[in-house]
Amino acid sequence: MTDDMHRGTIDPVRGGMLDALERVTGRVPYAIDIEVPGMLHARLLRSAMAHARIRSIDVSRARAVPGVAVVLTGEDLAARSDIQPWFGPVFRDQPILAMGKVRYVGEPVVAVAAVDLDAAQEALDLVDIEYEELPAVFGVEDALAENAPLVHEEPPRIGQTFADLIIDAKGGTNVCNHFKLRKGDVEAGFAEADEVFEDLFTSPPVQHVPLETHACVADVRDGRVTVWTGAQIPFVVRSQLAEIFGLPQTRVRVIVPTLGGGYGAKTYPKIEPLTAALSFVARRPVRLHLTREEEFVTITKHGVRIRMRTGVKRDGTITARQSVCQFNTGAYADIGPRLIKNGGYGTGGPHHIPNVWVDSYAVYTNIAPAGAFRGYGVSQAAWAYETQMDMIADKLGLDPLEFRLRNLLVDGQRVMTGEPMFDAHFRDLLGRAAAWIGWDGGEQPARSGSKVRAKGLSCIIKGTVTPSTSTASAKLNDDASLDVLTSSVEMGQGMHASLALMASQRMGVPVGNVNVSSPDTDVTPYDQQTSSSRTTHAMGTAVMGAVDQIREQLVALASDQLEINPADLELDGGVVRVKGSPDRSIGFGDLIRRSRSGNLLGSSTFRTEGGLDADTGLGIGSVHWHQAAGAAEVEVDLETGRVDVLRYHAGVYAGRIINPVQAELQTEGNVAFGLGQALFEEMVYDDGQLQNGNLGDYMIASIEDLPAELHTDVLEHLEANDIHGIGETSLPPVMPAIGNAVYRATGVRITDLPITPEKVLRGLRARADQEVHSR
Amino acid sequence: MTMTDQPADALPGGSRPLDAEGKLTLTLRVNGREHVVRARPQHTLLDVLRNEVGLTGPREGCGVGMCGACTVLVDGRPVSGCLLLVPLAEGHDLVTIEGLDGPDGELHPIQAAYVAHTAFQCSYCTPGFILTTKALLEDNPDPSRDEAKEYLAGNLCRCGSYVKILDAVMDAKDRVRQG
Repeated sequence: MTDDMHRGTIDPVRGGMLDALERVTGRVPYAIDIEVPGMLHARLLRSAMAHARIRSIDVSRARAVPGVAVVLTGEDLAARSDIQPWFGPVFRDQPILAMGKVRYVGEPVVAVAAVDLDAAQEALDLVDIEYEELPAVFGVEDALAENAPLVHEEPPRIGQTFADLIIDAKGGTNVCNHFKLRKGDVEAGFAEADEVFEDLFTSPPVQHVPLETHACVADVRDGRVTVWTGAQIPFVVRSQLAEIFGLPQTRVRVIVPTLGGGYGAKTYPKIEPLTAALSFVARRPVRLHLTREEEFVTITKHGVRIRMRTGVKRDGTITARQSVCQFNTGAYADIGPRLIKNGGYGTGGPHHIPNVWVDSYAVYTNIAPAGAFRGYGVSQAAWAYETQMDMIADKLGLDPLEFRLRNLLVDGQRVMTGEPMFDAHFRDLLGRAAAWIGWDGGEQPARSGSKVRAKGLSCIIKGTVTPSTSTASAKLNDDASLDVLTSSVEMGQGMHASLALMASQRMGVPVGNVNVSSPDTDVTPYDQQTSSSRTTHAMGTAVMGAVDQIREQLVALASDQLEINPADLELDGGVVRVKGSPDRSIGFGDLIRRSRSGNLLGSSTFRTEGGLDADTGLGIGSVHWHQAAGAAEVEVDLETGRVDVLRYHAGVYAGRIINPVQAELQTEGNVAFGLGQALFEEMVYDDGQLQNGNLGDYMIASIEDLPAELHTDVLEHLEANDIHGIGETSLPPVMPAIGNAVYRATGVRITDLPITPEKVLRGLRARADQEVHSR
Repeated sequence: MTMTDQPADALPGGSRPLDAEGKLTLTLRVNGREHVVRARPQHTLLDVLRNEVGLTGPREGCGVGMCGACTVLVDGRPVSGCLLLVPLAEGHDLVTIEGLDGPDGELHPIQAAYVAHTAFQCSYCTPGFILTTKALLEDNPDPSRDEAKEYLAGNLCRCGSYVKILDAVMDAKDRVRQG
């Protein structure tokens, strides 16, 4: 065993993961590994109907199965006065179990907790449900039609909300929320244009497919709720459980182990309310672990239709853009009401457009709920604008690179939400992408047999949730080791290591002597959310603030002990030293022991300001702007329509890199994620029935889908003295870069994701027919 | 008819009688040690390794043998633990990730290579990848990158750590050869 292994495997220069050893030995604990003595196991019966009134549920035979502790229905919950049975991060529109009616295929209707899963399943097989089918809506167009059946008859109950949220929901239609952006004078902008382009772009719902599906153990007894859950936002899980059981938040404890993947799927409560309700009724701990098929109907990426009009002068200057975005938010709002804001303003893109008008809608339908998904609406927006940018360039006879460079934001120009851009690196990112891929605007596609190759580019902007809050505390122990307490969630992004590296550098102690906690709401301080690519920036800043408090205390203690003015002291490598007298110093541990401090405590709150006006969508959209570019070279088989990505360049702006290897991993991961969404990922519904909700039928990228050359370019600009999150930023460029390359290779323009061989072949055939006709 | 009502001889496990709870008593050889377990004939090897043997390395990802997170080496071959009914595992040599590191906790060279390259993010898939890498290197001690890709195509990593995984496999083959 090497020394590295004794002190943890993180390399202070290269970075890595703090618990790499547990990760390669299979010992790192996930929610699925939690065992509580006396624990029951839960299984769910889910709706087979997309929209139906529940006439009756007969659970009498199920209750008689040996080993069954609880059989629970929505009716049971509604009859209780000690459970408030609705949840949801914005609207309390989601019942713990369907009550009165079901709103999508896969909605939980009956839950059983039993001594083992066999008994639970046996009981579910004996449940009889009578439904009265109701007319349903599946697509946004149907849902928005006049006299469309309503998914929710009642206006939404708004619960605790978020500082950045804008609510414009009236009820009486299937519009769940509406976000408006009004920048400049869009009609004047179109009047100024030489050409106005109007196109429709669509993205389908896709699933996050975290390899660890949702898992939760709940123990609700004696007025005390404890849940172990793979959740990205522990404090909202806590506040919602407190609301459901009518308890102060201090009576609810949420413990979050490391996650087997999140990607947004595990933001906000999903299965925790139901697991806790089962435990409450059973008076025993209960585990619920979803199957893969259940995961597919728990949460998805929003499918969307974006109609985009862009006005351009003949020289390639963009004068105006108008977008109407219809996000299919499914049967329950989840965080859709916020996501449509980011996806909506996101259609403004990284270009300087003086006049922008956006109407963005979250629309209820009778399919599985959609919510946060890596990219948070920006992937859908970028698919639209970066595809249209190439369509415009093509029509105007401009080089797509030159056209972009002419319009990309520079410092001081106003972004779509109105605030001035700063620390802009779009041109640099896109220029580097173009250089790496070997971009030449006049290059003809290279044909070899039935295969043809070409290149495509893209460039995107993404905000991070603003305003937002993170708090951290730190304890310096009397051996100069440091405990960092935060509620940030480790989900593979390497957050523990990044925070440890930052704390180690600031404190001046070896990274091997720093521990970073996992969330336990009884112990660790508040964090708003582990999402939105914000943790390294927001929590990292809070951690450094907490360390700074300890530094001040160390200086004060040393000043007392050495009888030296604090201004003449400095911290260096675990000691407080008298400036200019290298031999006069005192170690951190000695200071703590001699002062009988026990440990030194620091705490700090990081808070950003901003937010958008409810009527205009203008204000501060993001505390700083994440930026990325992509370049793809593809090979299309003209006989089969198959697209292979041969080379890909992912460029992303990081400000300062904290954990280099994790930065690369996140960026490479975005490419794999985006490749699937570009080429094959799509949840296929037929009358509300999901056709491919399992990993036999739903493909995600495998190692063989990897481009032969994958180049990551994580750009630093140390002078900016800022840290940018990169967890999502390099994802949105992937889909349009590939789509643009496919067009340059084949002349086939795909505007509806994914770019399947069928669509490519159909496009090739249509072009061949056109050529015949035009002869 | 419930599952436990089915006659034992209709299921793997042969004609041995089921006990009052509908379970068979089986002897599994896992990581060189024998474990006597009770399980219903329709339980999978994955269920039993997790729930009866108490291992956390094999993990369910898809339940249909597509993702490789539950990979177990059965007589050295990578098998999806979620597909193998547990009676069929009796009499075979079963190896999980827990059987790879040495008695003093020193890492297997393949594990060390995965650590050196940080060839994981959430690491839920990592035990499966490492076991498949072990089988690959036993089949083919000197695979090319393309051969390694083909062999590992049945293991999915949703975090997309594939570049580093391939780097780790290429490094691991040197480490294994050097012993």
